[in-house]
Amino acid sequence: MEAPQYVAARVQRALAEDDRTSELGIRVDVRGDQLFLRGHVTGEEHRRLMERVAQEAAPELHVHNELQVVQVREPGEDEHLD
Amino acid sequence: MTELRIAAVGDVHLGEDVRGQYRARLTGLEGRADVLLLAGDLTRHGTLAEGRLVAEEFRDLPIPVVAVLGNHDYHSDLQYEIMSEMRDHGIIVLDDDAVVITCRGARLGVVGGKGFGGGFAGKCASEFGEREIKGFVSHTRSIADSWQRALKELDTDYKIVLSHYSPVKETLEGEPLEIYPFLGSYLLAEAVDTVGADLIFHGHAHKGSEKGMTPGGIRVRNVALPVLGRAYGLYCLSEHDSC
Repeated sequence: MEAPQYVAARVQRALAEDDRTSELGIRVDVRGDQLFLRGHVTGEEHRRLMERVAQEAAPELHVHNELQVVQVREPGEDEHLD
Repeated sequence: MTELRIAAVGDVHLGEDVRGQYRARLTGLEGRADVLLLAGDLTRHGTLAEGRLVAEEFRDLPIPVVAVLGNHDYHSDLQYEIMSEMRDHGIIVLDDDAVVITCRGARLGVVGGKGFGGGFAGKCASEFGEREIKGFVSHTRSIADSWQRALKELDTDYKIVLSHYSPVKETLEGEPLEIYPFLGSYLLAEAVDTVGADLIFHGHAHKGSEKGMTPGGIRVRNVALPVLGRAYGLYCLSEHDSC
């Protein structure tokens, strides 16, 4: 059986290198037959693609997509730098 | 001296599915800032289609837009085509060089480029050993040297450095320590500290924190969109509290 660390690394590599995602810095955790994706992406479609690419890279695991879409709120107060 | 209001953001990672959404957040920008700075990773995969989308999203704004590219924008080896597309749409793109802009009577010099990695003093790679390691570190060193030269040549009221990679580790807090060498290099800070600047902006570290400073006391702001959580950060530079 492949060690969970190698599965997680394989998924992380797929998310970075797959042309559909090219996403770095996403946390991938494997626990038993469960795989968790955590972090931020910039759009809903991208969020779904991340799940698809992860699932393809680890078809034997149940993927939990806990990625959040970055909220672009209104700018707040100026910071004064004197 | 006239105060200067700066809007800055990085890592907007625009793709077709979010076309127009970011631009909608730029309404009223001219009332809040004199210049908009973009700290790289404007695209997701660095394709020309995404480069065009970035150009369209930031074109014809009522204030000058100054940008640098990030590692994502280099991913398809089309960085120069993307820069050209953006410049054709009136966006100033820095590539280890400088621009001088006059804002409400104040002269602002911006020096910048992508930057690169290597790590931070005491825990960094050196130009030693294999060709690949030497190439990695010498790339950063050559960038830092270009910034230092460009800063020296500036004679402006304010000097700002715009980077994608971080010059300090303070603004990386929240990122795993193991990847710090891929997030920035102290060589960038050292170059800026040698000449002096008012402020340094960078992006790249999505899980980092907003505020830090160089060993020489220059303030550093990580303006990566996931760190800010708002369309852009607003920073006011002045000698007196007059903004």
